[in-house]
Amino acid sequence: MSKTVNGVSIDDTFAEAFGMTGTGIIITADSMKWARIAATVATGFGTSVIGAGAECGIDRELSPDETPDGRPGVRILMFGFSPDALVPQIRNRIGQCVLTSPGSACYSGLKAPQSIGLGKGPRFFGDGYQTAKRLGQSRYWRVPVMDGEFVIEEETGVTTDAVGGGNMLILGNDRAGLLETAEAAVEAIAKIDDVITPFPGGIVRSGSKVGAKYSGMFASTNNAFCPTLRGTVKSELGPDTLAVLEIVIDGLTSKAVADAMHAGLKAVTDTGAKRGVTRITAGNYGGKLGQHHYHLKDLI
Amino acid sequence: MSGLTLRLKAPATERINLDGITPAKLASLSTYEIAWLNVGIEKNGLAIGDAFDISGSPSETLTIEGSGATLDFVGGGLDGGTIRVVGNVGAYTGRKMSGGKLEVRGNAGNFLASGMTGGTIHILENAGDNAGGFMPGDRFGMLGGVAVVGGNIGARAGEKMRRGTIIVKGKTGENTGTRMIGGTIWAEGGIGPLPGLMMRRGTLIGPSVDSLLPTFVDCGKHDLVIMRIMSRYFKSTLGDLAPKPMPLFVQKIGGDTAAIGRGEILLPAS
Repeated sequence: MSKTVNGVSIDDTFAEAFGMTGTGIIITADSMKWARIAATVATGFGTSVIGAGAECGIDRELSPDETPDGRPGVRILMFGFSPDALVPQIRNRIGQCVLTSPGSACYSGLKAPQSIGLGKGPRFFGDGYQTAKRLGQSRYWRVPVMDGEFVIEEETGVTTDAVGGGNMLILGNDRAGLLETAEAAVEAIAKIDDVITPFPGGIVRSGSKVGAKYSGMFASTNNAFCPTLRGTVKSELGPDTLAVLEIVIDGLTSKAVADAMHAGLKAVTDTGAKRGVTRITAGNYGGKLGQHHYHLKDLI
Repeated sequence: MSGLTLRLKAPATERINLDGITPAKLASLSTYEIAWLNVGIEKNGLAIGDAFDISGSPSETLTIEGSGATLDFVGGGLDGGTIRVVGNVGAYTGRKMSGGKLEVRGNAGNFLASGMTGGTIHILENAGDNAGGFMPGDRFGMLGGVAVVGGNIGARAGEKMRRGTIIVKGKTGENTGTRMIGGTIWAEGGIGPLPGLMMRRGTLIGPSVDSLLPTFVDCGKHDLVIMRIMSRYFKSTLGDLAPKPMPLFVQKIGGDTAAIGRGEILLPAS
């Protein structure tokens, strides 16, 4: 039984999410501008774990008081199928995108009982000129580079209690208004710690279903939610729906994902109706695949 | 003061070995058993009860009062809890210590923190030669933890030191960091003459150095991120005992180029 909040209909359904492995990394630089640049590049092409190898995004910006070296920083999160699957992602993304960024340094961004290599690969760029400094439980590698030294912590924490695939689908009759509402939801979610929205700008316009008619395709377009196919397929869309946008949420804990969904739903229902938003629903697989179910009616 | 207290009955006429006399070990013993522990080094032995008045009950804190320079290996093997010493201590203080805290309200002898792997030592006054150094039979000197010396330290501090930090509020003696393999010695009062002989890696930090070996070379002035990290780390873990941060730019002196030359002496950039 759906319910209506501020003129937006909310389906009685749930988002089905999966257990994942997650890690956090702090990137600092001489200025927030350059920390943000390094973080943005390092998390690029980190949308879907299936196609990109990892789901990555910026969690939040850090003040100098919050970073190990007292410089401005950004905390990024990465999610993958397993700790082993994250190892090459970290090595390549940090090695290609952070090591190369002027003035950057890189530290553990998650305290957890289990850890994973952070500087174990990039340190070899030092070609034998790298040195290490151990302080307490942390070991920092100093890799000589052309603007001084690239400092990178040897390990960062990793958790296998992370959640990937929290989601909501926002339906509306005005595409521009729908996008503005989705943006507002992403901004609200960004204020929640320990979560990311890994797709471009946090928003997905190409929601997928599992499988396809073509061999070798793991996922394909979610035809039931494509407005241009309404009438020709078994559609989930009403006659007034012009477009659908999805927000996918990954978090280090299930609670963080639930909090983020709550924030996103509130943002949509607060202002959505006047922007043409008519309905909110969520993606699931009948509850048989994902361990985590987030019922929309419990979160609003 | 709570916990067990050992008060020296009279100035010791022989050296006393307190290796392994730790709060954790004493906590499992009765006062009677503690009194019979041997701390002598001569043929007839010396029971703790003969050398010390024992008061209080074992806890996480052990206090040693009235000590002198004949008390060796104080805090040796300490792996947790706190040992407080009122007075001077002898050689090998904190030997192979792996955790906990050792505070000495006096001077320490030679080989302070030798073989130490963890924990914190605070000597309020001076320490002798070979602080953080190695003993014959050891592969390395200090291997971890932090030792803070309120005064000066003697010669060859950090010999074959591999990890850990020695913070000296005063000055170090000659040949600091000889054959050093890693770790940090931060001397707020300055570094003594000819440091880093055959140093492979590691860091010596100070406001000045008396003289340099010819095999150390000037690497220029740099704003090193690692200095910011160290300053913040020591401030957060040591509080008021932390060394004052260095200026943003430091002069890096690299060496010993007679070895692999990955070591460094960091001075304020002029």
